[in-house]
Amino acid sequence: MSNNLSPWTQTAPQDASPTTPPGTPWAPQQLTNQPPHQPPNQPPNQPPREPAPAPASGGGPPPSRPVYDGRLGELYAIYLRHLALMLLTLGWSRFWGRTNIRRYVWSHLAVLGDRFEYRGRGRELLIGFLFALLLVAAWVGLMWLVWRFVFHERPMASFGMFDLFSLSVALIGFPLAYVGHYAGLRYRLSRTRWRGIRCGLGGSAWGFGALATGLHFVNATTAYLLTPLVSVNLARPRIANTRVGSLPFVFAGRAGDIYGRYLGYYFLNILAWVVAGVAVFAAVGGTIESLGLSSDDLLKLLAKPGLNTVLLILAFAFGAYIVFGLLILPLRCWWQAYLLRYLVTHSRAGNVLFTTAISTRQMWGFLVLNYLIVLLTLGIGWPVVMHRTMKLISAQLWIYGAPEGHEIRQSADRGPGYGEGLLDMFDVAGI
Amino acid sequence: MADTAATPARYYDGETAEVHHVAVRVTTQELVIYRPTGAEIVARWPIGEVVVLGDVEHEVVPPVVRRGSDARLIVDDPQLRANLVSLVPSLRPLLPQPAAVGRRIAMFSTAIVAMVGIFWGVIEYGTEYAVPFLPHSLQAQLGETVLDDLLADKEMCEGEPGLAAINRLANDLAKEAGYPHEITVHIVEGGPVNAFTLPGGILVFYSDLIDQAKNSSQVAGVLAHEIGHVVHYHPTKGLIRAYGTDLLLKLVSGGYSEIASTVGGGGGLLLALRNGRAAEREADSTGIDLLERRGLRADGVSSFFEQLMEKEPKDAAAAAGIWSSHPPTAERIAATKRPPTGKPAFTDAEWKALRNVCK
Repeated sequence: MSNNLSPWTQTAPQDASPTTPPGTPWAPQQLTNQPPHQPPNQPPNQPPREPAPAPASGGGPPPSRPVYDGRLGELYAIYLRHLALMLLTLGWSRFWGRTNIRRYVWSHLAVLGDRFEYRGRGRELLIGFLFALLLVAAWVGLMWLVWRFVFHERPMASFGMFDLFSLSVALIGFPLAYVGHYAGLRYRLSRTRWRGIRCGLGGSAWGFGALATGLHFVNATTAYLLTPLVSVNLARPRIANTRVGSLPFVFAGRAGDIYGRYLGYYFLNILAWVVAGVAVFAAVGGTIESLGLSSDDLLKLLAKPGLNTVLLILAFAFGAYIVFGLLILPLRCWWQAYLLRYLVTHSRAGNVLFTTAISTRQMWGFLVLNYLIVLLTLGIGWPVVMHRTMKLISAQLWIYGAPEGHEIRQSADRGPGYGEGLLDMFDVAGI
Repeated sequence: MADTAATPARYYDGETAEVHHVAVRVTTQELVIYRPTGAEIVARWPIGEVVVLGDVEHEVVPPVVRRGSDARLIVDDPQLRANLVSLVPSLRPLLPQPAAVGRRIAMFSTAIVAMVGIFWGVIEYGTEYAVPFLPHSLQAQLGETVLDDLLADKEMCEGEPGLAAINRLANDLAKEAGYPHEITVHIVEGGPVNAFTLPGGILVFYSDLIDQAKNSSQVAGVLAHEIGHVVHYHPTKGLIRAYGTDLLLKLVSGGYSEIASTVGGGGGLLLALRNGRAAEREADSTGIDLLERRGLRADGVSSFFEQLMEKEPKDAAAAAGIWSSHPPTAERIAATKRPPTGKPAFTDAEWKALRNVCK
């Protein structure tokens, strides 16, 4: 497709004003001229509509953005209730807590004036978790048998039961985390409704797990030079298998399009690490020398840290953070923002096109700042991160066109009966 | 039956993604959903089959559905919602509750702080009192599992008279302390010069410790120290505390943040080490006390530490400071210093057998 070479995707303005819709790489004639539906008088509980900006240069209906009207205070009230129940039930309430948070977030996000609906249930997550637990128990049993009959009381018996188990879990854990990621996505989409229509995800979770494991392995053994290939090929099944009822998403990305930018990032990254390493080394060496400390003195200082030592270590941590923060992370965000723009712009759902002008700075806020918020608040800042993320999506995702409502039919597939067990077990558990 | 105000609601038919802008009226038996222009009826739902999904705390407009159908009625207008609720009691979940977000936040925060405090207290002090009541078989099972794993590839010393001697003294000392269960001492061939205690009264000595001891009272001193750990249930308490702190951190960080748990885990480790140093002091003093109560020579602990200090003049524990699992050795010597008086803990024959336990 010729529009893969859209001038916009390659040179996204870093300072794009959020109210200026970026151009779309898809041919404008693909758009129908149907205006997005607009109720005659807007009742108070409808999501506030985006004031329609001037039509994009190719004509067609005005672009819109999702609207998120959730409030941080309300989200906190729900989150704190969840934490309190977690403490009371030693964590067993998390399935229901997570479900409630999703219901809140989904319900406050609207696309084309209609809110999403999350209809998952806590007990479905509990059952999924119990299944995963069963799976692990079966695996432990199998490993015990292997140990008992293969390793036990043999010459190579320096291999303990726990060694065998940890090793085997490390081996199956990686693929299973990917399988769980995909299956979790399928579960969440199958419980998501828009205009009463169920979303869904086709494809095989095990296939995705095998693909992801293979690609990541090959990428790691080739010094991460295949990253664009991995990113595009792992994005494809997740995007192209997604559907809203009978409306499928389409993904038209190709790794070749983004290789030029990636190679630039790759070598800049190496350079940045060298510069950062030299800078930190020089700073640490210089300070120790200027204080006239031997390595023994240093060890003594670390063992019985006085106030000065603690302050000094904090100063160093801060210094290292500045060096890395200035050099490495923005570079990574530069690449990640580019990748996300590429992936979003090359996805569509029927005649509905997507685009985003997310900037390096916004990606920094999403990847780095959000991480720091969770880290520095020991997790209590999590709702802030969620809120920021939803606000970012609603500010940065542009939707061109509107689907013909009567052409999207309900899908007969109700999705899996339970969800996310593997995700809970092997992956970082999120919302 | 009175008509409700003809304010738009939205109706999704559950078959397509078409949006119908509708009004709703309630008859004696039905919810009638119709288009305000032309009054064309879109759907008639028997009132007995109408339910609300979700609640207003989590959802802006909880959808009204007919049981068993994918169709949804979204009543955007609060006035219409209020009217519907007054006519159809099963639609009560649609009524907006007073927000009072601030009060909810304050309430749940207080609950969290209180529960963290209670949880902490249970971990920190509860274990102190509760662990002795934990079934011994459970603790022994735990200890044996760890033992099997630790010693999977180690050579054990099987000299029966030697093992009998050290087990005899161990059980004498435990009985002196009123510990009601059997103690089992295992001896592993080789080093380091060390001994440790597992849950359920399981002791492990390394033979290098016995080889390098100058006299039997040094081995007896170390043994008494380990019995001190046993009678205070230190290994089980340590395990429960480590597990409890870890769980607490996971719960408080919402389980969302691996990184938060890692940072917290560092704090948990420091705490475990602090508890560890306190436990060592307690075991030292109890060990000495037990030896003295039985009229045995109690100079073994301090002389053994002195011997270690001579070999390794740098006090590793003192150097490691807050990162050490044991108190500084010099401090322990000062605290356990006793005169070389009293009966020997082992008979000459026992001591000889113990020396040869690995041969």
